[in-house]
Amino acid sequence: MVSGATTPGTGFPPAGVPTAAVAPAGDPHDSRPEGRPLVLLAYVCGFTMVALFSGLDEILGVVAGVLNVVFGVYFCRHLAFAVAAARWAENDMLAADVGLSGYTPSVAVFVGCKNEELVVDGMVTALLALDYPADRLTLVVVDDGSDDSTGARLDAWAVRERRLRVLHRPPGSGGGKSGALNDALHLVDAEIAVVFDADHEPDPTALRRLVRHFRDPVVGAVMGRCVIRNGRDSPMASTVFVDFLSGYLVNEYGRQALFELPAYGGANCAVRMSTLRGLGGWNPHTVTEDTDLTLRVLMAGQRVRYDLSAVDFEEAVVSAQRFWKQRYRWARGHQKCFRDYWRPLMRSPHLSPVEKVETTLFLLVYHVPLLSGLGLVLTVLRAFGIGDLPVVALLPLSMLLFVGPLAELSVGLLIGRVERRSAWRLLGFLPAFALSIWITTRAYVDGMLGRPYTWVKTSRSGATSTVRVDPPVVAPAGVGS
Amino acid sequence: MTVGAAVLLGGSPYRRARRPLRSGRRLVPVLLDLLLAVVICAVGFRYGAGFLQVHEARWVAHVLDLVGVDSVSWSLERHILVFRPDGEVILAEVTESCSSILSVLGLTALTAVVLRGRRQHAVAGLVVAVAALLVLNHLRLAASTVAGLVWGTPALVLFHDWVGTVWNLAATLGGFLLMVCITLPTAERAEQDVAGRHTARRPDSWARPGLGYRPADDDPRAPSRRLNLTGLVYRYVLPDRVARWMGARREAERIDYRIGHLPSAERAARVRALAGDGLGAHAASLVAVATYDDDPAVLDALAESIAARQWEPVTNHRVAALRLWARGWLLQHPEREPASGARPDEREPPTQRLWPPADRPVPRPPVPVPPRSRPRARPDDPGRPMPSSLPQPRPPAADGPAVLVTGAGGPAGVAVVRRLVALGHRVVAGDADVAAAGGALAHTAVVLPRGDHPRFVEALLGVCAVYGVDALVSTVAEELPHLAAGAARLAAAGIATWLPDAAAVDGCCDKAAFARAMAAAGVPHPATATSADEVAGVPGPWVVKPVAGRGSRGVRLLDERAPVVQALREDDGLIAQTRLTGREFTADALVDRNGGLRVVVPRWREETKAGISVKGRTFASEAVTEVVAAALAAVGLTGPANVQGFVADDGTATVVEINPRFSGGLPLTLAAGADVVSAYLAGVRGAPLPELSFRPGVAMSRYFAETYSSADGSPVADPCAPVAVTA
Repeated sequence: MVSGATTPGTGFPPAGVPTAAVAPAGDPHDSRPEGRPLVLLAYVCGFTMVALFSGLDEILGVVAGVLNVVFGVYFCRHLAFAVAAARWAENDMLAADVGLSGYTPSVAVFVGCKNEELVVDGMVTALLALDYPADRLTLVVVDDGSDDSTGARLDAWAVRERRLRVLHRPPGSGGGKSGALNDALHLVDAEIAVVFDADHEPDPTALRRLVRHFRDPVVGAVMGRCVIRNGRDSPMASTVFVDFLSGYLVNEYGRQALFELPAYGGANCAVRMSTLRGLGGWNPHTVTEDTDLTLRVLMAGQRVRYDLSAVDFEEAVVSAQRFWKQRYRWARGHQKCFRDYWRPLMRSPHLSPVEKVETTLFLLVYHVPLLSGLGLVLTVLRAFGIGDLPVVALLPLSMLLFVGPLAELSVGLLIGRVERRSAWRLLGFLPAFALSIWITTRAYVDGMLGRPYTWVKTSRSGATSTVRVDPPVVAPAGVGS
Repeated sequence: MTVGAAVLLGGSPYRRARRPLRSGRRLVPVLLDLLLAVVICAVGFRYGAGFLQVHEARWVAHVLDLVGVDSVSWSLERHILVFRPDGEVILAEVTESCSSILSVLGLTALTAVVLRGRRQHAVAGLVVAVAALLVLNHLRLAASTVAGLVWGTPALVLFHDWVGTVWNLAATLGGFLLMVCITLPTAERAEQDVAGRHTARRPDSWARPGLGYRPADDDPRAPSRRLNLTGLVYRYVLPDRVARWMGARREAERIDYRIGHLPSAERAARVRALAGDGLGAHAASLVAVATYDDDPAVLDALAESIAARQWEPVTNHRVAALRLWARGWLLQHPEREPASGARPDEREPPTQRLWPPADRPVPRPPVPVPPRSRPRARPDDPGRPMPSSLPQPRPPAADGPAVLVTGAGGPAGVAVVRRLVALGHRVVAGDADVAAAGGALAHTAVVLPRGDHPRFVEALLGVCAVYGVDALVSTVAEELPHLAAGAARLAAAGIATWLPDAAAVDGCCDKAAFARAMAAAGVPHPATATSADEVAGVPGPWVVKPVAGRGSRGVRLLDERAPVVQALREDDGLIAQTRLTGREFTADALVDRNGGLRVVVPRWREETKAGISVKGRTFASEAVTEVVAAALAAVGLTGPANVQGFVADDGTATVVEINPRFSGGLPLTLAAGADVVSAYLAGVRGAPLPELSFRPGVAMSRYFAETYSSADGSPVADPCAPVAVTA
C-alpha cells in the first residue's frame, strides 16, 4: 500500500483547507468485518420476542406504519429531487461554460481492464481524443490479468501512441478494480486522478469539465455524467438508458442542488491525488469503491462535486442476467458501506445534521427495495387477515413506492428531451423494480451472513461505439510483449 | 470504530465549524413546491372528492341505463342501488377510494410541481390523462355493479376490492404514462430517441453535452417529414393569417441549433437580423449564439448588435444576460468596441472559418481595400508580367466584385489564385481545408464544405453575399455536378458561372464511360475492361485504377493477368486498361461555350510527384492537338480542360483521360503565354474570349514554396524573402 505522503509536485490544498489525513502503514481498509450474522440474528430474535409479548398483529401493524414513514420520507426525497431538477437542470445544461481552458492541472487518467477485448479499442481511441494539454496528461491503462487479447491490444496501442502507458498485472493479483487502480497510482505523479471504466468512451471535453472544479481547494472529488450509448442493443439496455438519465439528471443533480452531496461514482470521475493518497487509495475490500471513497472524502472534510456536462458514454447491460450481476454488486457494496460508515458518519464534525440525514438516506438507498418487499409481504398477509392496519398510513403504499421514482424517471426524460414514445419504456421499470426487491434482499442476507463475494466484472457487448476506431495490428501470441 | 475512519476523524488537522446548510436557499422553493402539491391534494380532496363520488355514481347508473341495464339507480347520493332479480337490493357506496379522485389529484399535483415547465403540453397531458382515468374508473365501477347484479354482493365486493384494485393501479399508471407521453417532445423536436441516439442534428459545437450519443457507425438520416395533427390544423382549419401568425410564434420558440448549421457569414448576418427585430423578440436564439458559437466574427456581430440596442427595455432576464455577455466580450476585446453603433465595416470579412468548425477560430487580418479612385483591372487585361515563383506580397486588390476560387488548396487552385491576384482581381479563396495554401495567397480565405455536402451551395451563396463575389471559378471537378444543380440559385444571386454540361463532366469523371465515349468517337484510347470478364480482351501489361479518382490515387501497375482479374472481381469500382508506353503528355485546353477550341497547350510530363507534374516542357504537335480536340468534342466539354495521354514511339497520340478543370501544371501553360485563367474568367462574366497562343519549349521545374501564419492567423514573415534595402 502506498504511503500517505505525496511526492513532490503534487498539489496540496492550501493552508486552512481540510486535508485528508495521512494513512498509516499497512492496509487502512482492512479492519471492517465482512458480515454481521449476530446482528441479523438479533433482529430476528428481537422481532420474535416482541411479537410473542405484544401480539403478532400489533407488531405487524407497527412495522407497516414504520415502513410507511420510511417510504414517505423517500417519496418526499425523490419528489424534491424531481422538483429541483425540473426547475434548474435544463438551465444548467444550457448555461455557458466558464474557464474550461484556463485551468489545466496535471492529470492522470486511470482505466482498469480485465478481459475487455470487445471495448478496449473504443476506450483507448476516446482517451487519445481527450482535449487536454498533452504535457499535462498521462494515460495509464491497467491490464488486470486478462486472459483474452486485452493485454495484446493495449500493447499494440502503446507502441503506436507514446502517450499511453500500460501496466500488466499478473492474474490473481487481487483487489479487483481498486487493486488495479492502486497499483497504477504508484506509477504516476499528478495533481488529479481521473478514472474511467473500460467500456467508457469519454467526450473529448470531459476532462476539462471535470478538473475545472478543483479550482476550489475544498473539492476532493468530482463526478461527471455517464450516458448509455447502447440503448438500441436490447430492451434492457433501453431501460437502463432511461434509468441513467434519471439517475444523473435528476437524482445526482438533486443531491447536489439541495444538499451539495452528490456521490463520487466509479467512472468518469476525478479525485484530487493528494486527497486520494491521504486516504490510502481506493479500498480494495469493497466492491463499490466509489461509494466508499465518497464517504471517506466527506468525512475528511472535503467535498464532492457533480458536473452534468462532463459526459462519457458507457455500455448498459443488455440482459436480465447481467443486470442481476451488476446490481447485486452495487447493492452488496452499498449496503456494506452503510454498515461500515454510518456510525463514524454520525460523529463527523464536517457535516451538518441535515447533511448527515441526507447521507444516511443515500446510504440506505439499496435497503429501500428490500423494505418495499417487506411492505408487500405485509400487505399480502393483511389480505389474509394477518396483521393490523399500519399505525401510520398517510398515503397508499402504491403511491409511496411508485410515484416518487416515476416522477424522477419522467423528469429525467423531460430534461433529456427524449422523444415521447419513451414514456412507455417506464413500464420496463415494473419488472426491474420486482427484480430489485429480490436482488437487494439477497444482497442484504448474503452481506449480513458474510458470504464470500469478490468483484464480478460486468460483461460487455461492444456492439456500439461513439468513436471511429482504427485499432492497431495486434501482434500474434508469442510475438512482442 | 474502524481504522480508516478513525484515522480520518482524528487525523484531520482542521476542524471545520459547523456551517449552516449552504443549499438552504435552494431548498426553500423546492419545499414550497412540495407544499403546493400537498395543498392541491388537500384542497382538491376537500372540494373534489364529494363531487366525484356523487357524479361517478350518477354517471355509472346512466351508462348502465344506456346499455339496457335498468335495475340500477343513483337516487341515493354517492351510492349505486342494485336491484337484483331475486329481490335483493345491494347498496354500493362510492367511497373516496372507489372514486378516481386520488389518482386525479396525484396527477394534477405532479403536473403542477414537476412537469409545469412544459406548459401547454403538460396541461394537455393532464387533461387527457384525467379523462382516461375517469373513463377507466367508470368501467371499473360499472363492471363491479354488473358483477353484483348478476352474482350478488360477494361478487361485487370480490370484483371491486381485488380485480378493481389492480385495475385502479393499472389505470393510474396508464394515465400517468399517457400524461408523460404527451408532455414529452415529439420526435421532431426531441434531442434523442428512445434508444438514446442523438436525433436533433445539432452541430457538434452547439450540442448539449450528453443529450444523445452519436454512434460512429450511424449514417446521418434525412429527417423524415411526417403527417401530424398540428400541421393539418394549420393548413386546413385555421385561417391563413392566424396560421401564419401562430406558425411564426412557434418558429420563434423552436430550438435554435439550426442557426449553428449555417456558414459563419450567414450566421453573422442572421444574428444581426434577429437582433434587428429586438433583443427581446429572439432572446433565446441570441443567448444560444452567445453560449455555443465560438467564431469571433459571429460573436463580434452579436456584441455589436447588442451594443447598438441598449435603448431597448430589458424586458426579461435573457436580455439582461445578453447585455452582460456583450459587456464581457467587449471588455475582453477592446479593439472590437464598435465606434459609433453603426454597422460594422463591411470591408472587414466577418469570418474566415465557415465550415466545418475548426478546433480554434483562425482570424485573419482584414484585407486593406484601396481607394475607389484606383482603376479596376479589366478581366481581359493581360496585366503585369507573371510574378516570380516565390510568393510575393499581394498587390492591392481592385475595389469591385471579387472572384471566388474554390479548391484553393490544390495546385490548380493555387495557380488560379496567384494569376488572378497578379491581375489585380480581388480574390476570395475557398477550400475545405482551413490551412489551404491558396488562402494565404488570396485577399480573403474562407473554409467551405466539400462539394458533396448538402449545404455546399448555401455556403457559396453566403460567402458570395458577404464578400461581394460576382464570379465563381471552380478548380475541383467533383464540385461541378453540385454547382450545376445549384446554378439557378447562383445566377439568381448575381454570381456568374461557366459550368460544363453535367453529362460531359460525368463522361470525364467516370473512366468507364469515358472509354466508351472514346471508342464510339474513334479517338485513340487504351483498351479498357470494366469487369473481370472483359480482362481477356485487354492486352497487358495493365494499369488498374478506380472508375472515379484523381491524382494517381488507387492506381496499381500489374504485369500478370490473374491479379488484374482478381482485383476487378473484388472491387466493382475498378477498371483495367492496357498500360501504354511512350512519352506521357498533358494538354491544357480551353473550349468556348459554343464548343470552339480556343487553345491547346501540350506539354511533356517529364517528372511527376503524387500525380502532380513537377517538371515539364511545352511542345507543339499537330497529332496531339488533333487527338485532344477530338476527345474534347467526343465528351462535349466546354471551359477549361486537362487532357492526358501518351505519344507512342511511332508518333501516334492516345488520350487516357480528361479532367474537366484546370490542371496542376497550369503555371507552365500560363508561363508559355496562354492565359487560360484570364480568358476563362472573361467567359464566366459573359465577355468574349480572347485569342490565345503559346510558346513551345518553355520548361518548368517546380519546387516547394511556403506560406506562414501565426496562431491568430496573422502572416509571419518569410525568412527567405529578400530584405528591402534603401540607399
